[in-house]
Amino acid sequence: MNSSVLNYLPQGREVEIFTHAANNKLPVLIKGPTGCGKTRFVEHMAQQLDRRVYTVSCHDDLTASDLVGRHLIGADGTYWQDGPLTRAVREGGICYLDEVVEARKDTTVVLHPLSDHRRILPIERTGELIEAHPDFMLVISYNPGYQNLMKGLKPSTRQRFVALSFEYPSPEQEVVIVCQESGLDKQTVQQLVKLGNDLRRLKDHDLEEAASTRLLIYTAMMIRSGLPAAEACRVCLAQPLSDDTETLAALEKLISGHF
Amino acid sequence: MEEFVGEIWHKLISRQANTDFANATVQLDPLQSQLATYYRALGGAPGVSIDGADERVIRTHRRFAQKLAGSHLRFAVAWQDDRSLRLPVKLAFFEDPELNLELYYWLTAMAARLPRMRHWLKDNQRATLELFEHRPKLQQAYQRLAEACIALRPDPSTLKDSLGERERLLQQAILQPGTVDELPGAKGAPNPIPLWIYPPPWQDLMVETEDDLDDQGEGGPQEQPTVEGSRKQAKRFDDSKQTDGLMVFKLEALFTWAESVDLDRPQEENLDEDLEGAAEDLDIITLSKKRRAGSSNIKFDLDLPAPQNDDLPLGDGMKLPEWDYRKQIMLDDYCLLQPMLNDEALPEPIPEELRAQAKILRHRFSQLRPNKTWQRKQPYGDEIDMDAWLEHLTQIQNTRQSPRHQNFYKHRNDPQRELACLLLSDLSLSTEANLNDDKKVIDMIRETMVLFAEALSGSGDPFAIYGFSSIKNKQVRYQMLKNFNEPYGDEARGRILAVKPGFYTRIGAAIRQSTEILKMQKAQQRLMLILSDGKPNDIDRYEGRYGIEDTRRAIQEAKMAGLQPFCVTIDEQGNDYLPYLFGDQGYAVINDVNRLPQMLPKLYLNLTGLAG
Repeated sequence: MNSSVLNYLPQGREVEIFTHAANNKLPVLIKGPTGCGKTRFVEHMAQQLDRRVYTVSCHDDLTASDLVGRHLIGADGTYWQDGPLTRAVREGGICYLDEVVEARKDTTVVLHPLSDHRRILPIERTGELIEAHPDFMLVISYNPGYQNLMKGLKPSTRQRFVALSFEYPSPEQEVVIVCQESGLDKQTVQQLVKLGNDLRRLKDHDLEEAASTRLLIYTAMMIRSGLPAAEACRVCLAQPLSDDTETLAALEKLISGHF
Repeated sequence: MEEFVGEIWHKLISRQANTDFANATVQLDPLQSQLATYYRALGGAPGVSIDGADERVIRTHRRFAQKLAGSHLRFAVAWQDDRSLRLPVKLAFFEDPELNLELYYWLTAMAARLPRMRHWLKDNQRATLELFEHRPKLQQAYQRLAEACIALRPDPSTLKDSLGERERLLQQAILQPGTVDELPGAKGAPNPIPLWIYPPPWQDLMVETEDDLDDQGEGGPQEQPTVEGSRKQAKRFDDSKQTDGLMVFKLEALFTWAESVDLDRPQEENLDEDLEGAAEDLDIITLSKKRRAGSSNIKFDLDLPAPQNDDLPLGDGMKLPEWDYRKQIMLDDYCLLQPMLNDEALPEPIPEELRAQAKILRHRFSQLRPNKTWQRKQPYGDEIDMDAWLEHLTQIQNTRQSPRHQNFYKHRNDPQRELACLLLSDLSLSTEANLNDDKKVIDMIRETMVLFAEALSGSGDPFAIYGFSSIKNKQVRYQMLKNFNEPYGDEARGRILAVKPGFYTRIGAAIRQSTEILKMQKAQQRLMLILSDGKPNDIDRYEGRYGIEDTRRAIQEAKMAGLQPFCVTIDEQGNDYLPYLFGDQGYAVINDVNRLPQMLPKLYLNLTGLAG
């Protein structure tokens, strides 16, 4: 997104809560299903608070030095390069660790001294001890869905955060969001959201994850750019959600009831 | 000749009377799982399964040829109860197979909107309207079905007064749902409406009194045209107040001698062999619930089954010791443990109602297969470990060793998870206790074992499943359901689903044998999961403290052998004695037994440290 103002439609009081947390220099944990607007919310809040966002998408090969920084080899030998976390700590800004449970647990331990009253980041390699900029804020997010069965946050990590729980928006709100994001007419979007809610009933039973708001927006964009609605639903809503032929056949049937 | 003519006549007449389009037949079977998904998407309860519906008698107005052929007396209509949605096994109602297929989806959608039916006429119209409200294209599909359906219905003008009026209103209800509130009374039931859901055949019989249907709606019985037909289908018979069939006898007469008379009695009551045929012949199947079970039955459960009916014993059995706490000695070779194999169990696929759960579990567990990971700072490997090299460069002054001895490579390794699990299930008679109206503890244990096996077969960890029960120390029956070497498949699943409860719980011997089996596994972590429903007991002295002490001893032996025993129990009093047996971290009491099948795989994750 460029410099234009990001649209965000609050579901509840998350904007106020986040602002209070920011004012009190407290770290925030956001949980919610895939594509319900977690990242959008963080970007929106960063704009509101006029802070930069340093986003790190976590994966299981992420090491502490990916966050903190490492030595690199330059023309004149080695030099130290700050990682995204260190940069946010030094310059002030929101360090957003997306899908933090994907990272190995030893990685997240570097966050501990930053997320309590000390607000410091010790860098082992250089022996430096950085005190966090007043505008520094730590935000982590994860999806408490199926991955959570195997991976979860360490309890000692969790209890350092102010936690916000996100859900998919209500159908009325979702219509507004999808309309806004895709520019599609309201009537079609209403139908699309109804279909999305039919699909969400299948979560945990037939589908591992429900149709997210993001997927609905993608579908709406495809329809708007001229693809027939039923086809757009098939390629954006049915196929991405399942590989099972039986389930797909039922989804097709479901779509044909709507479009 | 007579027969030949008869056959031709039959064919001729049946063809005359037939209204099905055999060429356009659509079968339910291949559609079942799709329909189930569709049903849930439209708001149907997730646990409801989709099954075939039996034909039921609906006394419609028949044409002469139909009467002559004896057809059109029974119709397969769709209905549902709390457990399942019943759809006709095949549909050949319309000439176009597309429409028949569409009809299956339509019925499923209707059923999803009609979890409870109060009024057949109004509810069906209401559900139709509700479906239209959100799904415009569904309305078009319905319109096609409705028109095709009307084309096949009798013309109201050809029917006599009230019959014609009723037919006219029904057709109106089909074409313009929501416009008809009441039907005039007329003889018989109208022709079945394939687009609508019917009430369950016994719905009107759930009320205790067998009175008329006055309380079934505002308008009285004539509003329920089909119920009349359906009521004849099944009968619930409350015989709790009647005397049961056992004749009065003098107790002393039980122990008398009878002269043996060599007489050949031909057996005619071999109902067992053709129960299905018998059921088909009956129009009415009377069900009754014996409120005082046991007073009219005398069961000799405690006798061992005859060898030809019993499972196949594997070998002559093994002698195992038992701990006698009073004497504080080990009684060597005291118990005879007999490994058993149910060789008659047929291979079974995953039961329909567990399929979705099994799929999810298998998928989750398959993600637990150990991933390849990078090992850093290796003396050799596939890639240069830049971090190690940089660390060496930046901190060269701190490094005592010369670069030659540094490990600058990354190596991708293929870790093997060293984990073996044995699930030991209590199959004693106490598991036959009822859990609720339609489930027993043993059903839950079966489901648990199947789901557990599905989950573990996804993760690739070696596992075995055994069950046990006992009759004194003479026979501890140790059921082999799946051993470590056998791949898990339909055969093992068939054995698991065929387990029957029986006898007592001499758990010590079963644990000792499981320990022996698990000891042979070479894995680093060896887990023995015990699934139980109560304290150890047997009919000899193996109960109370004796049983508990022996079990404790067996558990300690297992721990000494480096195994990790863990007990999952549904016994609410488990907290009283389990800490003594397993230690306070070594057991879990599950309060809600219905969650046991889902809990066990989760527990497995926690125990094996995979949950982290």
